Amino acid sequence: MAGEEDKNKVMPPIAAGGPRKLDRRDVLKGLSTVPALGLFGYAWQQQRQYDQATLQATAAPAAAGDVQELNIALIGAGAQGQVLTDAMLRIPGLRFRAVCDVWTEYNLRRVVNILRRFKHEPNAYEDYREMLDKEKELDAVVIATPDFWHAPHTVECLKAGKHVYCEKEMSNTLEGARSMVAAARETGKLLQIGHQRRSNPRYLHCYEKLLNEAKLLGRIVTINGQWNRAVAADLGAPDRYAIPEERLKQYGFKNMHQFRNWRWYKGLGGGPIVDLGSHQIDIYTWFLGTNPSAVMASGGLLYYDPATHEWYDTVMVVYDYQTPQGPVKAYYQTQTTNGSQGYFENFMGDQGTLLISESELNYAGKIYRDPNAPAWDEWIQKGYISAPKLQELQSQEEKSGAIADVRESVSPDEHTVPVVLRDPYHQPHLQNFFDAVRGKAKLNCPPEVGYESAVSVLKVNEAIDAKSILAFKPEDFHI
Amino acid sequence: MEGATFSRSAMIAITVMRVLVGWHFMYEGIAKLTSSSWSAAGYLRQARGPAAGFFRWLAAQPNLLAYADQITMWGLTIVGALLILGLFTRLSALAGIGFLVLFYAANPPFVGYFYSLPSEGSYLIVNKQLVELGALLVIMVTGSGKYAGLDRIVHALITRKPAPAVVSPAR
Amino acid sequence: MATIFEVHTAHPDAQYAAQAAQAVFDLVDRLERELSRFLTNSDVARINGLAAGASTRVTPTTLECLVIARHLYDLTGGAFDVSIGTGLPLLELDPDGLVVRAREGGVRIDLGGIGKGYAVDLAAELLEEWDLGASLVHGGFSSVLVLEPPPALEGWALTLSDPAAPARLLARLSARQAALSASGLRKGDHIRDPRTGEAVRGRRAAWTLVPRPETAKADRAPREGPRMAAAAVADALTTAFMLLGLEEIESICAASPGLEAWVLPEAGADGSADLMHFAAPVEP
Repeated sequence: MAGEEDKNKVMPPIAAGGPRKLDRRDVLKGLSTVPALGLFGYAWQQQRQYDQATLQATAAPAAAGDVQELNIALIGAGAQGQVLTDAMLRIPGLRFRAVCDVWTEYNLRRVVNILRRFKHEPNAYEDYREMLDKEKELDAVVIATPDFWHAPHTVECLKAGKHVYCEKEMSNTLEGARSMVAAARETGKLLQIGHQRRSNPRYLHCYEKLLNEAKLLGRIVTINGQWNRAVAADLGAPDRYAIPEERLKQYGFKNMHQFRNWRWYKGLGGGPIVDLGSHQIDIYTWFLGTNPSAVMASGGLLYYDPATHEWYDTVMVVYDYQTPQGPVKAYYQTQTTNGSQGYFENFMGDQGTLLISESELNYAGKIYRDPNAPAWDEWIQKGYISAPKLQELQSQEEKSGAIADVRESVSPDEHTVPVVLRDPYHQPHLQNFFDAVRGKAKLNCPPEVGYESAVSVLKVNEAIDAKSILAFKPEDFHI
Repeated sequence: MEGATFSRSAMIAITVMRVLVGWHFMYEGIAKLTSSSWSAAGYLRQARGPAAGFFRWLAAQPNLLAYADQITMWGLTIVGALLILGLFTRLSALAGIGFLVLFYAANPPFVGYFYSLPSEGSYLIVNKQLVELGALLVIMVTGSGKYAGLDRIVHALITRKPAPAVVSPAR
Repeated sequence: MATIFEVHTAHPDAQYAAQAAQAVFDLVDRLERELSRFLTNSDVARINGLAAGASTRVTPTTLECLVIARHLYDLTGGAFDVSIGTGLPLLELDPDGLVVRAREGGVRIDLGGIGKGYAVDLAAELLEEWDLGASLVHGGFSSVLVLEPPPALEGWALTLSDPAAPARLLARLSARQAALSASGLRKGDHIRDPRTGEAVRGRRAAWTLVPRPETAKADRAPREGPRMAAAAVADALTTAFMLLGLEEIESICAASPGLEAWVLPEAGADGSADLMHFAAPVEP
């Protein structure tokens, strides 16, 4: 309000003015608050841009409208098969035509009944060959059988002309995994391996936006991760639904206990390092963009009964990676006797730390900025990460007049990854597979990627037995 | 009120307060207008206190609710803009007070209302809505728009009498 | 569900029983993933995020739990309300398509008041599949379901005690094939009436006993509906009985043979409170 001359003067009664005319002062004062409206408009524009950026950064892919209906079958209706079924029931455009499981008395019956309740009319099969013979209409098969069955099931389905989604671990042997890659190449059919984090929007956001584009961590030098599980009783089965011994033998199991706990047996599964570790070690490789160069590991059966547990209940691994930015050491542990801290992957660079997990509860994506790293304001503005959680103000220095208050090092700013998974864990990966079958997407985990992951993980059990550092050659990962 | 006098600094302070309250109203309104899914229904359904019955009844009337939503969204925006500009200040302050009375009545922080909406502060009877209401009272009774705001121009135009015979010399 | 689940069962082979219990705990974990409000990818979180007119698909178990919750909302005139006054009837449930649609936005559900009981119901069915007919399973001690009693006993011994003074025993029961659920207030606890938003006064605790329907399960396929959800019903009714008037409790009990309820009122001036019992009149 420049040019005012009534400084400190008592104002005349407002609105008590008699007839007077509009003077320059009236106009100036009358318009004096109009710029606030302009400022509001500017601030609002900024806010809208920010909202839009956040929305774009976190938007889920738009749902397809009318989709071509796919005829699908499930082989393996156990715990994992039921998780996948629940997820697939939520994906539009799928028609279950068949379900196959050797446990016809229990799991097969249950899944078929659930599907029938929801207007699917699947035929039930014990033998997958019979299923492939009779079900000519199938577009795709989802396989959730024990690891040692993955290769035969996948190869035969591919050769019968079906696209295949196969649970990880791709196979319990590298020969098996190689035969799957070869069959996919020969038949030209799609094969997706079930490393479902590769389709998880939060992991994709971290990989594409935070690591590749914004390079928030600087140079990643170390990684640690774990999957800790509490003690659990062996899996059992209701006596009255036990599978006859003859059928168990026919499908490669010694008895019902082995059938239920195949993950612990050599030749059938790979133990916790393969069941649990393979998900997360796959992320190490994915995020670093290169395969490991060496592995050392220690493990053993420390707790469970060796008569029914052949694989190691406790494993600790260190991988070496040679990335274009420099060498990386990556630690991973899995143990099955204490579930403390659950599971997570923690990527540590010279400018920040990314702590992430598939689990929503504990580590749903936190990223910490090293106090010396350049500011991340740009990425907050773009909606890539949240604004930092408020820290206690550093008020000590100011109050005391001292130069520095000596104490614990300043904790880094904590940001969250704003992308949230709204669907069951496996749904986006299945969706990616069915989109690819319809020709609308590229597979997030084709067999070559699954194979690389299998090479890295299966080597751990070898390294434990060898008690020495095992080197990988680049050609180990290629077929 | 008429005839009271205020120092210039007091009038500037009240004007600043008017712009701040107006800003807040306007953004509350615009944020609701631009949100695709906003409706007062959720707030009304969670109403507490003596008037809760009325608000819940309102939430259950789809037709009335649609009006209430429109009135709230546009009302807040317009009241906010008018307060910032200082146009029809008394009327808009009064309308703002009306909105705040309704918001307050739907969720008053009275003693014993343990399950009020989660809020970021601690309130006993007086909450931020009531404080803002007090600010609007001051704005209303001082007619701040006539000091710095479009009201001053409007007022000058309306009250201008036919030009006196003698034209004052230009300065 | 952040609570303790326990299974008591009688079987000659301890390992077999432990494996059955493990199957129960795995089942509870799965339900937790679907029903938790706190997991962003749970069914309930997705329902709570629905805008007006939007819909989401849920698992069969979530949908069934919601159907039961809706039924009890109607039965209790809204006194049991998993949406805590945000408008449960605004959710349209399509059991065949597994779809939940919100007619309006802003509905927030919390299945905490029924989820434990529902999990206990499913657990009991699982134990029956395992031929562990003589079992007791409970969630957090407040949702108890008993199947057949252990050999040589007529029923499972259960007690009701005063939540304000746990040492004070109010009643002893012997039960079989029934669910017993409890709800009570310790000092400083509050329950809000979803119909009025007011804190509830005048009740210290309530219990409900719901008999399991006759197990007519000749060759019933494993875990096929419809659910004999006695514990879920008991959970919901107990919550409602903390709020409802005594006449309403009486009329609900009178209309449902086998249903029993106990209510402990707030202590009177002399500090004493007598347990009130409600049940349908026994037919001659």
